[in-house]
Amino acid sequence: MRTWIQALSLALFSLLFFFFANYKLPEWLPADIYLRLDPLLGLSAILSAREWIGRALWSLLLIGATLAVGRFFCGYVCPMGVAIDFLDPILGRRKARPGLKKEAPWRKAKFFLLILFLSSSLAGLTLAYLMDPLPLLTRFYTFVLYPLLITLINLFLDLLRPLTQALGWMGLSYQHYTQPVFYMTLITFLIFSGIIALNRIAPRFWCRYLCPLGAFLSLISPLGLYKRRVSKECNECLKCVRTCPMGAIEEDPKKTRLPECIQCRQCSKVCPKEAVSFPALPSTIRSRQLGGEYSRVDLSRRGFLYSFTGGLTAAFLIDRTPFTPVQGKHQLVRPPGALPEDEFLRTCIRCGECMKSCVTNTLQPCFWESGLSGLWTPQMDLRFAACEQNCNICGKVCPTQAIRSLPLDEKTHAKVGTAILLKERCLVWAQDKLCLICDEICPYNAIVFRTIDGYRRPVVIASKCNGCGFCEARCPVGGTSAIVVVPDGEIRLKEGSYIKEAKKLQLEFKADPGDDKFVLESSGFKVGEKEPPAKAEKPAAPPEKIPGKKPAGFL
Amino acid sequence: MGKDRNGMTRRDFLKTASAGMAMGIAGRPDWLLAKEDYDLAVISGDPAAATKKAVEALGGMPRFVKKGQRVVLKPNMSFANPADRASTTHPAVVVTVAQACLEAGAQRVMVLDYPLRKGELCLERSGMLDAFQALKGVHVLALEERKFYREIKVPQGKTFDRVEIMREVLESDVLISIPQAKSHSATGVSLGLKGLMGVIWDRYSFHSKYDIDQAIVDLASVIKPQLTILDATRALVSGGPGGPGEVVKPNLIIAGTDPVAVDSYAVSVAPWYGQNFKGRQVKHILTAHQRGLGKIDLEQMKILKEKA
Repeated sequence: MRTWIQALSLALFSLLFFFFANYKLPEWLPADIYLRLDPLLGLSAILSAREWIGRALWSLLLIGATLAVGRFFCGYVCPMGVAIDFLDPILGRRKARPGLKKEAPWRKAKFFLLILFLSSSLAGLTLAYLMDPLPLLTRFYTFVLYPLLITLINLFLDLLRPLTQALGWMGLSYQHYTQPVFYMTLITFLIFSGIIALNRIAPRFWCRYLCPLGAFLSLISPLGLYKRRVSKECNECLKCVRTCPMGAIEEDPKKTRLPECIQCRQCSKVCPKEAVSFPALPSTIRSRQLGGEYSRVDLSRRGFLYSFTGGLTAAFLIDRTPFTPVQGKHQLVRPPGALPEDEFLRTCIRCGECMKSCVTNTLQPCFWESGLSGLWTPQMDLRFAACEQNCNICGKVCPTQAIRSLPLDEKTHAKVGTAILLKERCLVWAQDKLCLICDEICPYNAIVFRTIDGYRRPVVIASKCNGCGFCEARCPVGGTSAIVVVPDGEIRLKEGSYIKEAKKLQLEFKADPGDDKFVLESSGFKVGEKEPPAKAEKPAAPPEKIPGKKPAGFL
Repeated sequence: MGKDRNGMTRRDFLKTASAGMAMGIAGRPDWLLAKEDYDLAVISGDPAAATKKAVEALGGMPRFVKKGQRVVLKPNMSFANPADRASTTHPAVVVTVAQACLEAGAQRVMVLDYPLRKGELCLERSGMLDAFQALKGVHVLALEERKFYREIKVPQGKTFDRVEIMREVLESDVLISIPQAKSHSATGVSLGLKGLMGVIWDRYSFHSKYDIDQAIVDLASVIKPQLTILDATRALVSGGPGGPGEVVKPNLIIAGTDPVAVDSYAVSVAPWYGQNFKGRQVKHILTAHQRGLGKIDLEQMKILKEKA
């Protein structure tokens, strides 16, 4: 029963991730629902951003359910828990595991981590993403599983191709999925496999000792309805003690470490005397009737202080880098709709949903680009791929709205930067070649040609450029592009309309038809002159040395 | 002197008569004769009706597509814009052609392009996928992987001697080019000849390595669509090829077997960048003509102009 619910939960998580987190996502469907439900993420983002975050309020659902039922999330819903459970047999379930000699202090570790993460959030630095299971798993899905899956599917399609071609199944024989690629794939994989490997020491090692979300839920679980109860039938065979994946049963099997219990009911299943049950009891009679006392989480005052100040110190140490004061002057192009850098870093929970969903794969995780405080935050790699103008998925799937969910035309006005032409690299400027790819590809007509030194050369009109990066991505110059998008002029609003802001700044991202007339004028044309050119019938004119009198391509 | 009342010279009479006799000997029915005679069919009207009529005017699809043949349609699906932006071929035109191919007995109809933007977005937002939803047996695909291309030799190439072409184009029996009429910042206009850059793998070298006008003609020397049906129902006369730019509505479908002739006519149907041009004034079209790939002067073409 529990295994089925777990499988269902993992399936739902995977389904939302693989099939719905893309640009086609319907407005009503929260593909990031697991992340929204996570109260630790919500709380730490709210604390560090010092703002209410609408989507984080979804976590009240999970808080409410945990208050009512107990810590069921870890045993039934948490996809990381499912992954750990399901991957357990690989690591040799039947082997005796060494376990930890002195367990008690380890059990406290997760609470200390929780305090540390929350206090660092108070100081304005989010760290919870490092160990919160949901962003951890989502990152693993984004950076490892998703690329791997696409590789395997394509491999399969390649192998199948001779067959599909022979059968004339053309759709299938031309099927190919663009391979997503990411930085940070290896490191994400190592972290995840480390977590799974810890199971060799003790089952659910991660959940028992380290998971800060588990710690959070366990703190609010004591009020829960269902509690483990052991009847007098118990013959103290200790089977339950050995089986409990959380190590939640004390040496006296009648006693339960309630904050550790995830209600998996493994103990009641293995009990030969059927002495263990999980009755739903009203809280008033709970303490008297329960088979064991409720063991409180005993964090020493000292431990609390250490972890609390530890969080503050970490925030201090990590945030005090040259990056912090000069944010925005760094060469970092953030996704459209990203909050102002400071708020963005405080709010982003590094789950990677935006990068998974990105239709062009331009969103890539930061490593060191913005210091330690920016690990895994999304940035645009515009040399690699551009930002598609008809897509606004990154904001839609952002569980904390570090990237605001914007309608398409708002998103168009969320300027991420400005293209700058590096003339010494440009084929036209530096080598007098006839190259117009940046102009051809620019969706906003922000690149025009003007006659300079007797030659038509590309120029960027900054007020029309919203930094989408098609020019940078497609520039044929080897190495660094001859036209690069820098964050100059980016618009990042905490609230309010990007369209209004762009209008205020006199920016225009819908090129009007007048554009090319402007080009023609500047290249010596008399616009509006409709009479056919006089020498229309002239045969094969030699190629002009100075193209510039007519639009390119015309003689 | 020497002219009869109809204004026909004896020579003209003999020419026509002998041509007619030759055709007659070849066993072609009369009604087909007149139609095959046209270099171009220029039909005005709404996209689907005009396309249908243009194909009929050239002798009907069975002239080009035989039973059991494999057909590739190459429309312009390069951008993720709706049809009214005139940066992509009108889906109704493509559907009409595909339908005609199926009716002619085509074994397989593939609608292919290598879009400039993300393929799946282009197919969807250009309205192409929706338009083909009802038409079973036609595959609309964006081929964005090198494995779907194969290198061939270009014997008459001036700028390159090898080029990678979509396998399907090379292996199919019939290629029908269905370009959109639009301006182009590098080549002046982007019509049928320029549109064929959508069947090659590495088009960037055309821009950065080669003389693009010569390169287009090199490509045209190896890739010769049996039929070109140019969509000038709307024309993007500035801001091309991606737009946004000024869109005018010539409301025309221009069809013919000679890609150079189609392009040359198409140049004349709209003012480009606010100016009127002729086919001869477009470098790549003129070059194609000079290299013997087709007619360029409208005076020498037999053109059927009708309304749908």
